[in-house]
Amino acid sequence: MYALRDPRVILEDRLGDRFLLLGNEAVARGAVEAGTHAVTTYPGTPASEVGDTIAQIANDAKIYMEYSTNEKVALEVAAGASFAGARSLTAMKMVGLNVASDTLISLAYTGVKGGLVIVAADDPDCFSSQNEQDSRYYALLANIPCLEPSNSQEAKDMLLSAFEISEKLKLPVMLRMATRVSHTRGIVTFGPIRREKTDSFVRDPKGLVLVPENARKQHKVLLEKMDLAAGISENSRHNRVAGKGPVGLVTSGVSYSYCVEALQMIGVRARILKIGMVNPLPVKRIRRFLQNLRRVVVVEELEPILEAQVKAIVGDMGKRVEVCGKEAGFFPRYGEFSTWVVAAGLSRILGKTLPSDYDKNFRKAAEIGRSIPPRPPVLCPGCPHIASFRAIRLATEGKAIVATDIGCYTLGYQPPLSVGDIMLCMGASVGLAAGISKFADSPVVGVVGDSTFFHAAIPGLINAAYNNHRFVYVVLDNLTTAMTGHQPHPGTGTTATGTASKRILIEDVAKACGIEYVRVIDPFEHRAAVSTLREAIRQNGPAVVIFRRACAQIKTPLETLGERKSSELDTGNSAMREVTSSSSRCP
Amino acid sequence: MSRRNVEIIISGVGGQGVILAAEILGNAAMREGLEVIVSEIHGMAQRGGSVTSHVRIGHKVYSPTIIEGSSNMILGFEPIETLRSLKFANKKTRIIMNSKQTIPITVSIGASKYPSLEEVVAQCKKFTKHVTVLDAFKIAETAGSSMTVNMVLLGALVKTSMLPIREKILVQTITDNVPQKFVDLNLKAFDAGKNALPIC
Repeated sequence: MYALRDPRVILEDRLGDRFLLLGNEAVARGAVEAGTHAVTTYPGTPASEVGDTIAQIANDAKIYMEYSTNEKVALEVAAGASFAGARSLTAMKMVGLNVASDTLISLAYTGVKGGLVIVAADDPDCFSSQNEQDSRYYALLANIPCLEPSNSQEAKDMLLSAFEISEKLKLPVMLRMATRVSHTRGIVTFGPIRREKTDSFVRDPKGLVLVPENARKQHKVLLEKMDLAAGISENSRHNRVAGKGPVGLVTSGVSYSYCVEALQMIGVRARILKIGMVNPLPVKRIRRFLQNLRRVVVVEELEPILEAQVKAIVGDMGKRVEVCGKEAGFFPRYGEFSTWVVAAGLSRILGKTLPSDYDKNFRKAAEIGRSIPPRPPVLCPGCPHIASFRAIRLATEGKAIVATDIGCYTLGYQPPLSVGDIMLCMGASVGLAAGISKFADSPVVGVVGDSTFFHAAIPGLINAAYNNHRFVYVVLDNLTTAMTGHQPHPGTGTTATGTASKRILIEDVAKACGIEYVRVIDPFEHRAAVSTLREAIRQNGPAVVIFRRACAQIKTPLETLGERKSSELDTGNSAMREVTSSSSRCP
Repeated sequence: MSRRNVEIIISGVGGQGVILAAEILGNAAMREGLEVIVSEIHGMAQRGGSVTSHVRIGHKVYSPTIIEGSSNMILGFEPIETLRSLKFANKKTRIIMNSKQTIPITVSIGASKYPSLEEVVAQCKKFTKHVTVLDAFKIAETAGSSMTVNMVLLGALVKTSMLPIREKILVQTITDNVPQKFVDLNLKAFDAGKNALPIC
């Protein structure tokens, strides 16, 4: 019997059995069915459950799994494994793809050996992100194939196809997810599990050492591979026509689901070309679809990428087909779609009226909505960050300019704590603080979490020491990656699969970066925390103050940190599984 | 069984068990051989934010989210979170709401005012007359643990006979999905919810 959140179920053969899985869990099952040998990730909502699910079964499945220090490293480890002949997968949220992009674009030139799939999860509407970027642009930029599922079953099926395409073309392949695919449970039918050994590393310096002479040639090789990819796209079962009717729609991903129900809502019959392989597009297939149409509606979340390409195809056909999408203002280019958003756009295009009761309800709810007290997320009771922020406010008399970073502690920018004047992306706090400190009169403080420190702060810290920037860098070390679900990191001394490992101390790193003033304080020692910060502010160069106390949601006593076992990282101790579950799945 | 979909909004505050309740309904529906989609936005739920789950049960469901104005049922784990979900209601929607308040920070720092229970019920009634209010917190507490509000509300949901899921299947799904040592506690709360008398 399938018990919820018993991840071991995804290891079982169970051919043909059905399970209710999150999109991310379906990807994890897909990884098992594909016989993936290596999985790497850096946690980030909405992608975290891919890695977290694999982490729990990796030992039994004989999968090598790691939480890498950041997404660039994760992709490089996965690529290395691929060159050594392993099928490998790396998962990240969309902004993680920015971090990995340097590697990605050159990796397309070298190509890969064992299949390599990059799972990138977009977050339309910024449920837990700092922007709404569209990962499909990276598939276009790097010139690699990209598939886009619309539900859990497709997520698994397309992952398997992505591996096949990757091995056929020797290219990395992207699987583009979105919050509503990653975090929606749908019924998934299990398929057979592939069990094949890894291949071996083959020396090929002409192809793999990207000095200019080789890179030029490899660019051409990449273009030839993508010509083959276009052929694969033409015949892909993931590109298909659904429905019948006088109206033509082109759509992909979760937007397809909204389209089907929006058409029902406004009572219109339509043919839908559902694109599953979004790069390269099946151009001939789209041409055939457009052949007898005078107008086509393109429905996609975020950027008008399909739309621009459909317009180019129409232009090449020398035919008058009106393309209705975002550029004419029928659908928004921001936020996430819903059946309602799609229905509203379709009704304007097709001259239909929306059911009026929906509209009336909307207005009534909006009116009530204005008077409901907002419920923003807050730091937990007993959170050590609260003590750290109070110390920062006291020591600087609330006058410090604070560059903060990505993690639970970002919430400290809200009243009443109000610590945090700017936040951009992982690790940006250190560089921002350095720049601000050159010109501001007030004391400058940078704030960063432990996992974020390891992820992206170290080059900035070396820069601060080298160029002698004068600011205090506060590292809030709660001994876990709390925001994304308490994953371990290099400062915890355990790996993804619970093995004890080398524990890297932040104070050692700071000193090695050239910082002379480095202090470690328990933020609950309030007086010492405040006086240390005051002393740090008086330094004539960069100072690092590490506030170390375990996250209130993990029970690990500070004293036993060295001997900590991964099982203790679990918060699963109460009757209320949901407390645990939300804690393990929050951004 | 009707060909129509059953569309349930579950809304509450992080930690109240919204997501577990939705998963139990989803799995129970699958065991009944129905199609089902469960979509959750936990956002920053763990940090005391709002949580909403959409449970769509039927014969063919595509969209992960329920269309505004078309839910059959709203299970409100908290009064103002119920208000936030009213855009999904229509005049036939059945609302079952827990009366126990969880005060948000915006109220505790004096930036906004928490409405009275009467006001909340009156707002709900602008949408539908089918509003049932339970002191689910107290019922859960009496049954053994205040942490089982989600089971009380699932029990109350079963009593409406609106679910296309047999009670024994639901009970079995609960049994399989909570830690073994807490099964009795959860089932007790579920029964208490079934037998609970609404306060209005």
